[in-house]
Amino acid sequence: MDIKIALAGNPNSGKTTLFNALTGSNQFVGNWPGVTVEKKEGKLKKHDNVVIMDLPGIYSLSPYTLEEVVARNYLISERPNAILNIIDGTNLERNLYLTTQLTELGIPVVVAVNMMDVVKKNGDKINVGELSRQLGCKVVEISALKGMGIMEAAEEAVKAAGGTKTVPQHSFSGVVEHAIAHIEEAAVHNMPLEQQRWYAIKIFERDEKVLEQLKLDKTVLAHIEGDIRAAEKELDDDAESIITNERYVYIASIIKGCCKKKNAGGLSTSDKIDRVVTNRFLALPIFAVVMFIVYFVSVSTVGTIATDWANDGVFGDGWHLFGIGSSAYEEAAEEYAVPGAVTEAFEAAAEEAGLDPEDAADLETTAYLYDDDGNVEEEIPVTYDTYLEAAGQEEPDPADFGVWVPGIPVFVEKGLDAVNCASWLKGLILDGIIAGVGAVLGFVPQMLVLFLFLAFLESCGYMARIAFVMDRIFRKFGLSGKSFIPMLIGTGCGVPGIMASRTIENDRDRKMTIMTTTFIPCGAKLPIIALIAGALFGGAWWVAPSAYFIGIAAIVISGIMLKKTKMFAGDPAPFVMELPAYHWPTVGNVLRSMWERGWSFIKKAGTIILLATILVWFTSSFGWADGKFGMVEMNDSILAAVGNAVAWIFAPLGWGHWQGAVATVTGLIAKENVVGTFGVLFGGFDEVAENGWQIWSNMRAAFTPLAAYSFLIFNLLCAPCFAAIGAIKREMNSAKWTWFAIGYQCLFAYGIAFVVYQLGMLFTGGGNVIGAVIAFVIVAFILFMLFRPYKESNTLNTKIKIKAGA
Amino acid sequence: MMPLTLAVIGEENMIRKVSGKPEVRAHLENLGFVPGGSITVVSTMGGNLIVNVKDSRVAISREMAGKIMVQASTENQEETV
Repeated sequence: MDIKIALAGNPNSGKTTLFNALTGSNQFVGNWPGVTVEKKEGKLKKHDNVVIMDLPGIYSLSPYTLEEVVARNYLISERPNAILNIIDGTNLERNLYLTTQLTELGIPVVVAVNMMDVVKKNGDKINVGELSRQLGCKVVEISALKGMGIMEAAEEAVKAAGGTKTVPQHSFSGVVEHAIAHIEEAAVHNMPLEQQRWYAIKIFERDEKVLEQLKLDKTVLAHIEGDIRAAEKELDDDAESIITNERYVYIASIIKGCCKKKNAGGLSTSDKIDRVVTNRFLALPIFAVVMFIVYFVSVSTVGTIATDWANDGVFGDGWHLFGIGSSAYEEAAEEYAVPGAVTEAFEAAAEEAGLDPEDAADLETTAYLYDDDGNVEEEIPVTYDTYLEAAGQEEPDPADFGVWVPGIPVFVEKGLDAVNCASWLKGLILDGIIAGVGAVLGFVPQMLVLFLFLAFLESCGYMARIAFVMDRIFRKFGLSGKSFIPMLIGTGCGVPGIMASRTIENDRDRKMTIMTTTFIPCGAKLPIIALIAGALFGGAWWVAPSAYFIGIAAIVISGIMLKKTKMFAGDPAPFVMELPAYHWPTVGNVLRSMWERGWSFIKKAGTIILLATILVWFTSSFGWADGKFGMVEMNDSILAAVGNAVAWIFAPLGWGHWQGAVATVTGLIAKENVVGTFGVLFGGFDEVAENGWQIWSNMRAAFTPLAAYSFLIFNLLCAPCFAAIGAIKREMNSAKWTWFAIGYQCLFAYGIAFVVYQLGMLFTGGGNVIGAVIAFVIVAFILFMLFRPYKESNTLNTKIKIKAGA
Repeated sequence: MMPLTLAVIGEENMIRKVSGKPEVRAHLENLGFVPGGSITVVSTMGGNLIVNVKDSRVAISREMAGKIMVQASTENQEETV
C-alpha cells in the first residue's frame, strides 16, 4: 500500500524547492481534475512506496481562490496518510495560520520550519520543542535551499503516516466552542470522529462549499443558525471573522512562548531594497533597465548567436567546433565572393541564352555582390575571359578549415544516399521532417536564455514587484498588475504565458489576460517579423519594435473595449499580493524552471509541429497533375488548391495569393510554421543560395511592402497556435469562452490588417473606394467602443466560479 | 482612526477594522490583516502600498487600503493608559 503525503504551505514558503529536493526528477505534472491548477506529484527519493503530492500554495483553507478549493478538496476527500506542512521560519505568525487549520483535519501533520539558516543568521530563536508541544504535532527544522534536514522531515512524515492523528490543541472562546459543540452534535455526529471538528468549524463559518456538500436538513440548519447568531452577537463580529481572529490570537500566544526575535520592527534588507526598487521615482527606470538587460541578452546578443548556431550549424551545413577555423574560412570565403558571383552570373546568363558557358565566348553579363540583407553592394561586368579565370578558382569548403562538425541534414543525407533511399522518402525526411523541426528547435537556445532570466526574476522576488509597479498602468485598461507577468512570459512563449495567468485571483481579470496575452509577439512570431523585415523592408530597424507596439496597442485597445462590454463590466479586482523577501535563488532551481518551460516547448515542437510539417510537405508535394495523383510541382499541389480556395478571404488585406493563405493556416498549427511554410513554398528549388535571401527575393515578388505588413499584423494578432489555444481552453475551462477568445482575436486581427492595408493604399494613391469606406467604418466603430461612456455595473459579480472536484 | 492610505511611511499602526465585501475581507484576513494586528507602510507608489503585516510584505491597492482602518500604535497606548 502506497503512503501518500501531501505537501502544504503558503506561497513563497519554499514548497516547490522542498518538493524538488524530495522527489528529484521523479515527478509527474498534470492538472487537478476539472480545474486548471497545476498538479504535481512525485515519488520520495529512496522510498518507492511513498508518493508526495505538491498542493498549490495557499494561505488558508477558505473557499475564496481556486488554489484553496483544490487543496482543500484533496485534503478532505482523498485524505492523504500525512500532511507535511512547510512554514517559513522568518514569518511564523502568518504561516501558522494555515497550520492551525491543517491540524483540525484529523490527519497526522508534521511541521517543517523552513529557512532556519536565515532565522539563525538574523539571530532569532525558535524553540522547536515548545512549538511542537503547543501545536500537538512533530516539528522539524529544515532549509530547503541548503538541503538541510529535508530527508529527516520526510522520514518524520512517513513515520507520522502510520501513527496517531493530530489533535488540534487550540480552542476558541467559550461561546464559539459552545456553538461548535452543538453543530458537531446536530450535523456531523455520524462522521468519523477525527473529521467532525473541521466540518463543524466550517459550518460555523457558513462555508458555502461545505454546506453544499453536506446538504443539511432545513430544521438542522435553522437550529445551528441560532447558535451562530448568538456567538456573533456576543462577540460583535461575523462568524468567519471571529474564527480568523481567534486563530491569530492563539498563534500570538504560541509565538510568545517559543519564538524570540532579535530586532523586531526594524527594516529588513528586503525592505531596504524595496525602498529603492519600488520607489516612486526609481521604480519605472529600474524596471525598464531590467527589461532592457533581459531583452538585450536574450534577444539581441547571446540569443541571436545561439539561434544562428542552431539554425545554420546543427540544422544547416555544419559548424566549426568552438569556432576553430571559422575566421580562416571566412577570409577564404570573402576572397572567393567575387569569383563566385562572376561564375554564377555567367553560367546563369549562358543558360538563359541556351549556350554552354565553356563555349560562350561572346557572352557578356553583370555580376552582383549582395550584402547580408540582399542589397546590391557592387556590380561587376563579366566577360568570357573573366569567367574562365574565376571558374578556375575553387570554392572554399568550410569542412577543410579547422575542426568541422557537419550538420544533422548533411549526416542524414549521406546516410540516406548510402542505403539508396527512394526520392520521396528522402524528400519527406530532409525537406519535411528535419527542415521543419530544425527551424523550430533552432529557437530553443534563445528561448532557454529568456526562460533563464524569467526563472531568475521569479525566484529572486523581483517578478512580484513588477506586478506591483505595473498595477497602476494595467488598471487603466481593465487588467491587474499581475497581468504583466503572463504578458512578459508571453513574449517568450504564449503557452506558459497563458498558464501564468493563474496567479490572478479574479475571474474577469484572468479571462481578459488570457484573451490578450497572445497579442504580444511570442518567440515563435519573431522569425515572421524577421522574415518580413528582411525580405520587404531591407531589415529596417523599426519593423520589430512596431510589432511589439502593435501587440501592446492591441492589448490596450482590447482591454478598454472589452472592459465596457457586459461580459467584463465592473472594476478589476482589488489588488493584493504577497511580496516574497528578496533572496538569491539556487542555480539548480533556476535551471530546473528554465528546463521545464523549455522542455514543454520542445515537446510541442516534437509532436504538433512535426505532424504539421509532414502534412505541409505532403500536401505541397503531392497533387493531381495530368489526370493522376502523385508527386507534382508546387503549383499543382493539394496545398495550392486549398490555398487558392481560401485566398479570396485575404484579398482585401492585400495578400490574396495561395502562399500567404496557406502560411497563415499552417501558422495556426504553430506560428513558426509561417516561416517554415514560406521556406518550403518559396525556397527549396535553389540550394546554391546561402540562406534567407533566396526566399526574400521570391517574397518580394509576391508581396508589396504594405501587403507584407498587413500580413505581419494579421499573423501577429490572429488566433495563436493550437498549443496556445489548448492552453486558453484549459485556463478558461469553458468551450464557450475559448471560442469567444479565438473569434475575437481573429476578427480583431482581420479588422486591423484591413484598416492598415486599405488606408495605406488610399494614402499612397492606390486605394479603392469601397475598401476605404469600410476601413473608416471599422475605425469609427473602434473609436466608439473606446470612448463610449463606461457604465459601471451596480451588482458586481466578482465571485470566482469554482467547479468543486469532490 | 484613519484609513491606511493616510498612514505615515515607516510608522507602526494598529488595525482597527477591515470593511468591504465579505470575500475581499476574508481574503485580507487570511493574509493577516486582522483587527488588533500591527501594520507598517513600507513604501507607496501611485497610490498602491507595500505594507508589513505579520512579518510579511504585502502589496495592496489604494482602494483596498482605504477599507482598512488603522490607528497609530502610540496613540492607542495612551488611550488604554
